[in-house]
Amino acid sequence: MSRESLLVATFVELADVLVDEFDVVELLSLLTDRCVAVLDVTAAGLLLADPTGELRVVASSSEAMRTLELFELQSAEGPCYECFHTGEPLANAQLTATDQPWPNFGPRAIASGFLSVTALPMRLRGRTIGALNLFCADSGALSERDLIAAQAFADVATIGLLQHRAVEEAQTVNDQLGAALNSRIVIEQAKGIVAERAGVSMANAFNKLRDHARSHNTRLSELAAQVVAGDVDIGALGLKPTSMPEPRVEQRPSRGTAEA
Amino acid sequence: MIDAHVLEIQSRFTSGSTGLDAQRLCEICAEVAQMSGAGIMMMSGDVQRGSLCTTNAASALIEELQFSLGEGPCLDAFHEERPVLEPDLANPDDVRWIAFTEAALDAGVGAIFGFPISIGPVKLGALNLYRHEPGGLTAEQHADCLILADIVARSVIMMQAHATPGQLAQEFEAGSDFELAVHQASGMVSSQLSVSVGQALIRMQAHAFGNAMSLRSVASAVIGRELRFDVAERGVR
Repeated sequence: MSRESLLVATFVELADVLVDEFDVVELLSLLTDRCVAVLDVTAAGLLLADPTGELRVVASSSEAMRTLELFELQSAEGPCYECFHTGEPLANAQLTATDQPWPNFGPRAIASGFLSVTALPMRLRGRTIGALNLFCADSGALSERDLIAAQAFADVATIGLLQHRAVEEAQTVNDQLGAALNSRIVIEQAKGIVAERAGVSMANAFNKLRDHARSHNTRLSELAAQVVAGDVDIGALGLKPTSMPEPRVEQRPSRGTAEA
Repeated sequence: MIDAHVLEIQSRFTSGSTGLDAQRLCEICAEVAQMSGAGIMMMSGDVQRGSLCTTNAASALIEELQFSLGEGPCLDAFHEERPVLEPDLANPDDVRWIAFTEAALDAGVGAIFGFPISIGPVKLGALNLYRHEPGGLTAEQHADCLILADIVARSVIMMQAHATPGQLAQEFEAGSDFELAVHQASGMVSSQLSVSVGQALIRMQAHAFGNAMSLRSVASAVIGRELRFDVAERGVR
């Protein structure tokens, strides 16, 4: 396959992963694998910030790379670390140069067989969520074309990740909203049940439920759910059942019933 | 894509002197879409959970009718995940909501539009927009309504995200209507009939339909102990 078709195929693959059954690790592993296959690099790795802002190794094209990236994080220095904190790309840093800025990371990377390194930010609208590391076994520079393609890979993955997070957050909040709405409704249903069984007012029924929940260290919504499920007898709430219900007779809707 | 027009609409929601709450959210939707009224219907799962806000009596009735009858444009928009447009409620191409249509026409609704409120696959509810005069949406209005539904979705999520865990967001309190009396009454009826609250609600809906009453009046008769479901004529005036 030509380089262009490889690029196109990679974007199609990345987009495919983004559609359904989205898996973060799958997406990022695909990204690092394709960097190695399509670009002129020996290894690729990816670090993402966790919710506390700490960087974590998420994907690596090889085990040597993973170890090196873990080392980079531990020693809090290195191209990926720097790129994440500045949000700026760091292209073709030569690890053998005498003025290379990483006293711990530099020698370690050379020992792992890498001579030059590029780090690209995963960035959208001023927010950097991680960085893509590209390592080369020779000191040759990545071409402008490769840098542009690599940044485009990182951008696609960034958009996918942020979108995925936004949807997950929305889902969580929507679930909470649903639960809050449900508990409010269940409390009203429980009030109705208690008011009917004990022949008391809604306000009175609510007070009994609330007092019982407090004295039993239960949440009101939990108690209400138990009442609605028929698991709590109103005797337990300190109420006496009324003489109702009388013998049951099916009521037929009658025309002309006056509205209350 | 964020273009100038989206930003312009967005700025309507953020420019107010007071903080944005659900009520204000609804009012701005009606203004921007150039409608007579708007309402935000909340769903949880497939169950209608009530109304977050409405701008006036007719938009409140639109929400109540759909809750009471289980049919209407917003419910369709939510379930079908697409806008549901009825530009001429009095002369529809096909009659979709028999009970709803009659009552909505009586309330002065000429045209009604339901837009789903969702973020990606997360479905929250539907935006109801109505106008006294019949007539379709222009292409611009239609596009604006989609933007509005999107802003509503994000705003609702943002408001609830800051709420005390387990509680509803403060911003929902002012104009919301969760049909609490109906749920109280369904609790009472479930006791009277020894059935689940869900079945009790269905019995109340049937009674409302059979007696040409609103579900709310059935509920208030039950709570007022003027109507029982376990005794034939007792209490029924």
